[in-house]
Amino acid sequence: MFTLTLKGLRARKVRLFLTAISILLGVAFVSGTLVLTDTVKAAFDQLYAGLTQGTDVTVRATSAFSATSTLQAGKPLPASLVDTVRQVDGVAAAEGSLTGYALMLDKSGKPIQPGGAPTLGAGHTTDPELAGGFTLRSGRAPQAPGEVVVDAATARKYSYQPGDTINIIFESGGQRRFTVVGIAGFGKADNLAGATLATFEMTTAQQLLNMTGQYRQIDVRGKADVTPAELRSRIAHVLPAGLEAVTSAAVANEASKSIQSALSMFTKIFLGFAAVSLLVGSFIIWNTFSILVAQRGREHALLRAIGAGRRQILGSVLTEAVVVGLVASVLGLALGLGVAAGLRGLLGAVGMELPSTALQLHARTVLAAFAVGVLVTLVAALAPAWRATRIPPIAALREAAAPVRDAATWRLIIGGLLLACGVAGLTRAISADSQTAAAALGTLATFVGVLMLAPVAVRPLVRVLGAPISRSVTGGLGRLNAARSPRRTASTATALVIGLALVVAVTVVASSIKASVGDVLDRASRADLILKADSQFAAGVPAGVADKLRTLPEAGTVSEMRWGMAQIGAATTPVAALDPATVDQVANLGIASGSVGALGTDGILLSADVAKAKGLTVGSPLTVRFAQTGDHQLHVIGTFTDTTLIGTPYVVSLGTYDANFSDRLDIAVLVKAKPGVSTAHIKRLAATALAEYPNVAISDANDLKDTQRKSVDQLLGMVYVMLLLAVVIALLGVVNTLALSVLERTRELGLLRAVGMTRRQVRSAVRWEAVLIAAVGAVLGLILGLAFGAAFSRALASLGIVTVDVPIAQPLLCAVIAALAGVVAAIAPARRAAKVDILRAVVAE
Amino acid sequence: MSVLQSPSEARTVAARVVGATKLYGRGDSAVRALDDVSFEFPAGAFTAIMGPSGSGKSTLLHCLAGLDTLTSGQVCIGDTDVAKLSDGELTLLRRNRLGFIFQTYNLVPTLTAQENIVLPLRLGGRNADPEWLAQVVAAVGLADRLGHRPAELSGGQQQRVAAARALVTRPEIVFADEPTGALDSRSSGELLRFLRHAVDEYGQTIVMVTHDPVAASYADRVLFLRDGRVVSQMTEPTADRILDAMKGLGE
Repeated sequence: MFTLTLKGLRARKVRLFLTAISILLGVAFVSGTLVLTDTVKAAFDQLYAGLTQGTDVTVRATSAFSATSTLQAGKPLPASLVDTVRQVDGVAAAEGSLTGYALMLDKSGKPIQPGGAPTLGAGHTTDPELAGGFTLRSGRAPQAPGEVVVDAATARKYSYQPGDTINIIFESGGQRRFTVVGIAGFGKADNLAGATLATFEMTTAQQLLNMTGQYRQIDVRGKADVTPAELRSRIAHVLPAGLEAVTSAAVANEASKSIQSALSMFTKIFLGFAAVSLLVGSFIIWNTFSILVAQRGREHALLRAIGAGRRQILGSVLTEAVVVGLVASVLGLALGLGVAAGLRGLLGAVGMELPSTALQLHARTVLAAFAVGVLVTLVAALAPAWRATRIPPIAALREAAAPVRDAATWRLIIGGLLLACGVAGLTRAISADSQTAAAALGTLATFVGVLMLAPVAVRPLVRVLGAPISRSVTGGLGRLNAARSPRRTASTATALVIGLALVVAVTVVASSIKASVGDVLDRASRADLILKADSQFAAGVPAGVADKLRTLPEAGTVSEMRWGMAQIGAATTPVAALDPATVDQVANLGIASGSVGALGTDGILLSADVAKAKGLTVGSPLTVRFAQTGDHQLHVIGTFTDTTLIGTPYVVSLGTYDANFSDRLDIAVLVKAKPGVSTAHIKRLAATALAEYPNVAISDANDLKDTQRKSVDQLLGMVYVMLLLAVVIALLGVVNTLALSVLERTRELGLLRAVGMTRRQVRSAVRWEAVLIAAVGAVLGLILGLAFGAAFSRALASLGIVTVDVPIAQPLLCAVIAALAGVVAAIAPARRAAKVDILRAVVAE
Repeated sequence: MSVLQSPSEARTVAARVVGATKLYGRGDSAVRALDDVSFEFPAGAFTAIMGPSGSGKSTLLHCLAGLDTLTSGQVCIGDTDVAKLSDGELTLLRRNRLGFIFQTYNLVPTLTAQENIVLPLRLGGRNADPEWLAQVVAAVGLADRLGHRPAELSGGQQQRVAAARALVTRPEIVFADEPTGALDSRSSGELLRFLRHAVDEYGQTIVMVTHDPVAASYADRVLFLRDGRVVSQMTEPTADRILDAMKGLGE
């Protein structure tokens, strides 16, 4: 039996390969994502291992929870502590170190902002061993206040050499000029995980980074006879409260974990796309195996008749599925390595530079690729395989193929019920804001319902869609053939429905976001100018920007806004900080109760939704945990409704922020001009005043709307590329189905050719059939996508989607293109159909 | 000369083979399916081709109809040399000037009887002459079955639909390849009477391959083949005479 299966497989190599392709791309995505994640993690691990080399124990402020931002690393500690640590028995060397915000400018005055990595300034550690991987490549260490050592990557990319002058921006005080005296690398690497690093003489660094008399941490090396663990506990004894000693191994471990959690977002997104293509692929596998089983009905019946058991038939079909899955896994894994390289390039293209190392192919990735490829194929082939076992031996003796069964009644009832529930859920989601559950369940129920009813809907749909072409004889034949096997057409079209529905839904949501951007800004902002960092990767705008603006007589109100992470309840969430005195003049938060003015240093303003969910009212206490300072009991002083401008439901005062965070970077600075000063005028004045801050983007409301719409479009473009993959897989499914149908209709095609059908007409009929199958998928996908998109746009109202905009032109264009892509899918099957040997087809077997 | 050329009134030869030879395979193992066959098929007559299995009768029909090509020799439909036609021209020849009835699988399962009948016309973008169509449909006795699909028709009805399709374009020649091979004797009789009727009433030329002496007895002339060669002819045949002749051929 097994030999028979393998022989059959060998005879159908091309079919096997075509089928495998549909699942191959999904496997490639899964393995590519895993390879990329492992590679990035390995690169960061290598880097951190190098950095902590030579240091046994690190002393630093305890953190109430681990925040993700590098700049919010820890509270500074007094410099005097270094001496205390040095006196601990077993300490060979101890030195303070610090890092902070320092943005270098290139020679033309533009900011050097890496994607996804911080711009760091640091004090130079004199002990070479404690400096970790930090090594001077050329020049010398910084010794005087005006001197700086630049990381090798920055030096190389922006051609800085010892002797050059460089301008650097700090949190306060604007640009300063330095002389480059040295270039440093980190072991083999040219920079620190993509971050830029400017290293100053220690005292200078303390002044520049607002840490006079302080360090961020103390690095300690022990004597040879002390283990790091022993050293750690000895040092811990002499430390005052609020400080801790940690071994280097633990530090590296923490860093590795935080990189992993930062990467998990990307992993999830890419695996999500992989899931979509696997879902689409599984429909194609299911369909292909259904057709194969139907075509091989007599063969299976013959096997049954000569004594094969049901289990053997099942085994035979499933073996074929496993082989298809294995082929897909092997090829998918190979392609996955390419995908990983491509994704790394894609991230690089959007500014996320990742440290480079060889692509990491772990056993887990190989296992995952095989598990996904084989399992998905097996599961998809299960139903067709079971159907194959139901063929009675007597079928071998019957002349005609089994008649097409009508859809089972239970299928109609359940499908109808699901569709009704789904439509109800979607209607509810569309008619009210923030019905996320209704939108999600409605989408799921509608989708499954449509899936179950699709075979019934195919005939009428094909009849209507094909009406315009039915006058031509080839169009008419194409229309009849598309409706010939409704199940086959339905499952082929379903693959396209999934891809297209997603594309259309995303388009609707994106369009709603774009339409909302303007409304949100008009409603929530009263400012004439909004200043932000000109790169989405920058940590913020230096505090010096707001200070400088306040010196402009025409600027009536300058109000800054900051962001920091805090733990409230179990969740780590951003908290916004505002100036209670001025915020009302530049922004409309939609205060529902209380007043912003009452924030003080122990007040917190909550969004009305969160207050309601947590059962808090004005006056209620709320415990907020800050990383550097631990738990604080704040009091709810009011509630507000419009979170769209500040993007978080928690607001504290700048005073509270300064007491609990050490950095001074603004997420945005809002400016309201004095009465009588035009927006254009204040914008010009601000631009002149902030000439030394090239890293700040000065926008009026219109600029900001443009920028935000552009970034939505950019994101949309990336999502399109990913989803396009699903559409391409779906079209491969059309190719597969048509190829099998053509094979099945050899005699009919021969007859048509015999009575006078030209090759061109044969090709045309197959093409129309393909277009109609694709059109069924496109129409269903379009309708579902529009409904899903509208439902989710309303459901995501809390994310700032205040206007639901359902575009028609773009989704319609997508649908038309998808339908026309049927022409491309038909090329090979049509050519094959036209080549049918008439004589062999018409001569009775 | 156009393949669309209408049959000339005065023509007396509908099709002609000269020195037709067909080899299958090569060298020593080559099988000579047709061996220097020359024959003229008279217009307006019903010719049957008979012979034992492997005598080359089907090969002769296929080569005549442009479905297969000769190794050497000439086939003409009217004045058209079939060997000189391209695939496209052959297709138009079959569509416009020839009619076909095969043993089985004559009809497109997705089309109704009526649609199957007018298919060759529709493929050429033409409409049926309603009077002629009605006449043909009435003659095959299918007026009340036109909306049915092949699966809803009996084997005899299916073959009569095929016959109607073959006649609807008023072809120069109708080729029938064992048209009664899968039918019972009653259905066979109906179909053969219709073919005879077409020859007598409309002057239709028909060339039919069969191994059934009764079927062949409906023809005006019977051509006997053996081992790829024409061995004898018979005019005004009867089933008994044919049976005797076949016995003489060793079947």
